[in-house]
Amino acid sequence: MEMKQYNKAPSMMFKKDNIIKQVLRKIINFLKSPIIYFVLMGIVLIVLGNLANKKIIPYSMSKTLATLVVYGIISIGFCLLLGYSGLASLGTAGFVGVGAMVAHIIIEKYPFYLYLGGQAINVSIFIALLGAIIVSIILGMFVGFISLRIEGMYLAILTLGLAEIIFQLLENIASILNGTATIKVSSSNAILWLTKLDNASKCALVTVIFVILLVLTQNLINSPTGRAMVTMKNSTSAAQAMGISLIKYRLLAFVISTVYAAIGGLLYITCVTSSLSTTDDPLLSLNTSLNILGAVIIGGSKSLWGVILGVMILFGIQPLFLNEIEFFEKNPSFMGLVSGILIVVIVMFFPGGLSQLFLELKLKVKRLFKKIKERMYGSY
Amino acid sequence: MGIADFLQPFASSLTYICVLVLATFAITLIFKTSATTNFAQGTVAALGCYVASTFLISKQWNIWLSLLMGIVFGILIGLFIDLVIFRNGRNVNLVGKQIITMGIVSILGNGIPMIWKYLAPPTFPGLTNQLNTPPIVLDIAGKSLTITVHSLICLGLTIAIIGVLFVLLKFSKWGLGVRTTASNEYVAQMMGVNTYAITAISWGIAGGLGALACVMFVGENGTLTNPFIMTEFQVNAFLAGILGGFGSFVGPVVAAVIIPVFETCVGFFANVESLRGITSWIKVISYVVVMIVIYIRPNGLFGKKVVKKV
Repeated sequence: MEMKQYNKAPSMMFKKDNIIKQVLRKIINFLKSPIIYFVLMGIVLIVLGNLANKKIIPYSMSKTLATLVVYGIISIGFCLLLGYSGLASLGTAGFVGVGAMVAHIIIEKYPFYLYLGGQAINVSIFIALLGAIIVSIILGMFVGFISLRIEGMYLAILTLGLAEIIFQLLENIASILNGTATIKVSSSNAILWLTKLDNASKCALVTVIFVILLVLTQNLINSPTGRAMVTMKNSTSAAQAMGISLIKYRLLAFVISTVYAAIGGLLYITCVTSSLSTTDDPLLSLNTSLNILGAVIIGGSKSLWGVILGVMILFGIQPLFLNEIEFFEKNPSFMGLVSGILIVVIVMFFPGGLSQLFLELKLKVKRLFKKIKERMYGSY
Repeated sequence: MGIADFLQPFASSLTYICVLVLATFAITLIFKTSATTNFAQGTVAALGCYVASTFLISKQWNIWLSLLMGIVFGILIGLFIDLVIFRNGRNVNLVGKQIITMGIVSILGNGIPMIWKYLAPPTFPGLTNQLNTPPIVLDIAGKSLTITVHSLICLGLTIAIIGVLFVLLKFSKWGLGVRTTASNEYVAQMMGVNTYAITAISWGIAGGLGALACVMFVGENGTLTNPFIMTEFQVNAFLAGILGGFGSFVGPVVAAVIIPVFETCVGFFANVESLRGITSWIKVISYVVVMIVIYIRPNGLFGKKVVKKV
């Protein structure tokens, strides 16, 4: 009762005081919410994709952006797992491969048609999405159950082994299905309206899904579930003492992360490339898992913006900005070298990642302003 | 089906076992002294091997001398990682160390192709070809069993080195230091153990062992095509580590022998007519079995249960 009264009093005051001020405050609060920034970022990405399609900026850009967004989707799932639940996994690339494989099997091999008014509409992509989510939920629960018995570094190694098993399985399944190690979603096989889409619209589709997932993740982090995960990360014993069920939240964390990875794989094979070699594609290797881990750590594992920044640095700088320069064209591995050095330096000197670095800078600037104010008006 | 048919796959995978044992020992050593999984083991090894093959092929050095150069380079890189990178970090935690080794993978994996770009991909002819000896052919009950000299040399080297290291671990001051550091670094420091020196020496040994292992593998395989050539061994070595239990030194090494032997046994069934298709599933089967064992015994086959205290 008391709380309610306390809450009422200031707002009443505002109403009496100034209605315009209150409306302005509401608008400012709305603009301050992180969701707006995510949507803005999405709009910028879509505009860039369209510009690339009209060849105002390099044409290959839209494909690069789509790739980056896919890596972003995978990374935010991983961020939830590592940064918020404290569970280390190195099986990300394997889960990505599972999503791609489900997409291949359903869209390419067993397409679904919906008959509407005598017209057959291909709805395989939705079925594939559903299938990928179901398969990854099962997989995530499996890994989650393992994580109850095996923890820390051991869990990371075990998921590494699991990813190796998945790679081998994918290779074998691909060779059984196709006779080759390549899985593909050909655009001639009509995927609803997706087949007619150009690069820009594919980029837009991927971006929309990315923004939706970002908003969902942001809300999840601020919900009681997210709080429970953070508690679990800081101390399992304390979390259990507070009545947080380890099994529930560990399973949830793994399931969400696996689902994101699988969605990433599905989008990668449908919207970015049309074929994926199960033996030597860069996406399906230990390196991808390590790079995503690196992106999350560089950016700061406790901030979604940090993760986006990390993905940008690790995967984005070279294809976006440096491909036109001759030196980088001749040495395609140079940027990998730089990012390796960057990883080492950031972990050595800024353990909280770039997002923490920015926070520290912000604090310093604020203090500086305060000092200047004190100089000008005297301390009070 | 004679006994030679049964033994042949094991004889062929002799080098593989040796390489895996060396890699596993190196990774276990790092895990015990620095409490981190060293993802850079494979690429450091590859760098050592690149150096060795450059000396062997471009500079026409003696095979043993160039091997020694490779090992020395591996040791230097190992020391560099510990002394320069880990030592100067600002409160680097366990995951941080892991990520640093990952960053080193990125640096070496991308740096090696840049340095060795203008050379032809260096091939390492192997100890056998260099010594110009034909493989040994044993005659067992009418069937022949072929063993390459290279694999015998590898076996000898591995047994000698691992034996020496185990003796050192058991009886030397360094070994005592490693065991103390492994059990608790801070208490070890308080008891007057120079844990910094112990860790640095361990990193050096790991780098050297890696280089030796990679040279052995490339000698069998023939070509050194990319810096990620040892990734498969690294993954297997990690699995061997948790299968045997990182709690002891013997466990991982034994597990490193068990895994390839088990794989060979599974592969043996591929000779049976009805199970011909099993060949592509060998890795899956062996990994799944390893995982089931780890799930049943989370501390490994030889590990002791760690009691957690609040």
